[in-house]
Amino acid sequence: MKRMSAEHQNSINKSKEKIAKPVLLAVLIAFFALFPLFVRSPYYLHILSLTFIYTVAAVSLRTITISGQFPLAHGAFMGIGAYLSALMAKFWGWLPLLCIPLSALATAVIGMLVGFLFSRLRSLHYAVGSLFFGIGVIYIIYAFPCTGGYTGMMGIPRLFQTADKMTYYYFFLVLALISIVALYRFEFSHIGTILKAIAQSHLVASSVGINEAWYRILVNGVGCFFVGLIGAGYAHYNMAMSPTAFNFMATLWLCMYVLIGGINSFAGPIIGTFFLFLLPEFVRDLQEYSPYFSALLLLIVIFFMPRGLVSLPALLKSYFLKRGEGERISNVSGS
Amino acid sequence: MFLEVKGLTKRFGGLLAVNQLDLTVNKGEIAGLIGPNGAGKTTTFNLITSVLQPTKGRVIFNGEDITYEKSHAIARKGIARTFQLNPLFGDFDVLQNVSTAFYISDTSNLFDMYFNTNKHRRNQKMIMEKSHEIIKMLGLEQVKNVLARNLPHGHQKMLGIARALAAEPQLLLLDEPIAGMNPDEVEAILKAINKIHEQGITVLVIEHNMMMMDICNRVIVMNFGQKIAEGTPQEIRDNEEVQSAYLGGV
Repeated sequence: MKRMSAEHQNSINKSKEKIAKPVLLAVLIAFFALFPLFVRSPYYLHILSLTFIYTVAAVSLRTITISGQFPLAHGAFMGIGAYLSALMAKFWGWLPLLCIPLSALATAVIGMLVGFLFSRLRSLHYAVGSLFFGIGVIYIIYAFPCTGGYTGMMGIPRLFQTADKMTYYYFFLVLALISIVALYRFEFSHIGTILKAIAQSHLVASSVGINEAWYRILVNGVGCFFVGLIGAGYAHYNMAMSPTAFNFMATLWLCMYVLIGGINSFAGPIIGTFFLFLLPEFVRDLQEYSPYFSALLLLIVIFFMPRGLVSLPALLKSYFLKRGEGERISNVSGS
Repeated sequence: MFLEVKGLTKRFGGLLAVNQLDLTVNKGEIAGLIGPNGAGKTTTFNLITSVLQPTKGRVIFNGEDITYEKSHAIARKGIARTFQLNPLFGDFDVLQNVSTAFYISDTSNLFDMYFNTNKHRRNQKMIMEKSHEIIKMLGLEQVKNVLARNLPHGHQKMLGIARALAAEPQLLLLDEPIAGMNPDEVEAILKAINKIHEQGITVLVIEHNMMMMDICNRVIVMNFGQKIAEGTPQEIRDNEEVQSAYLGGV
């Protein structure tokens, strides 16, 4: 009887979750869709546009990590997408809206080639190999005069005729939504399951006929496609950029968004990016101390939430449940 | 000839793990591969399935040379295996462990998956049916939604076999399937192997246990990387060389 009620409770909780999640999502999307109607400040629209851009970069980085490998070249791939699109638009005069998907495809192809080269490397070796690839990309950008080298590239054609921040805000909101949905469907497809299987044991995976190398190349292509896409969008939004925006520090920040948010959950990198991007905005009064403040928060998150910010609700729930139980026990002993 | 191993040799530095091994497995039999610890049985399995590359020799399956094929290609040609330490997809439940192997033969592409086409739904349904069939046959129905790493040892071993079956093999290589099990679990595994055999799948099994030898049609004995005897279980029991290999005699 007790078990029955527990099961019943469980099913109620599950159906609650089933309703709660879409509602929460709808509210969030509605919030961001209506945001510019209430806050017209170009500054905040700019910050949020950048947040959308880096959210896609972080989510696509996490998509690659579900195969069990951690690449350290994702910032560089964003740069590849950005520079390819900028060069195409600036020197060939193609429409930016055409250059963006083309350079995303090119980035995917380059990502797959790199994945092919590194398909025999695993864990740390793979991470270090891709790290050097990322550093190499930056030096290649430096080497060509058409990219502007160290001084950066200027005069990249604008995405739309207008300079209005709101247009770009909606463009990046829609692009981010499409990318995130596509990556979500990818992760929870058969291919995602196979990738997770490879991450758990490549030996077992190949013993049932899974071609580990091919699936790892494929996921590299998918991850790089979306980071190239958003990188290209970034280039035509900023209109000027230098390779330092895509160097190893940029890659590290992407890793940070993923790890702080929670690498084991799809929502992790989204939450991580918003947290780290918007955090400095809330402590702007303490501007000169802002880095220390951010660092302290990061340490707190890493110490108390090793599974990332995503685990916060569950942690709080278990904390309060435990406390509740403790009170009940003390009540019993008191009476 | 179904599976034929010719002059297979594997050298690890100064150690000859497998030395000029000749071995055949006939279609439809249960063959046993026995030998003392360190005789090179697991290495032989690893060489057949390309987990290791041989120093010398050939592996021929269904008349085709598969010596230097990749592991996954060999699995697709019809040789599936289990592992001695039995690694599983620990974070997957039993059903997922089995169905993952079916996904690779799924013909629906990314487009079908994104838009959940009829073809995709039909394939998905078929995969679930096939997975359930295997799970039912091996008696894992009760635990089908349990995470693999939370299963008891006996069920984990059974799941290893179930996963290998999901690769739809013609030849199943089992590496010590009943090591460290209690008599009830042993009986369940032996029954399962018989059922698999009845379905027309050839089985090559590594085992020390005499109970396992009794269900074999033919037993091959290895020592120091070489084949020292071959015959029916009874013949092997009476073989003096085998006895001395196991008892460490001269």
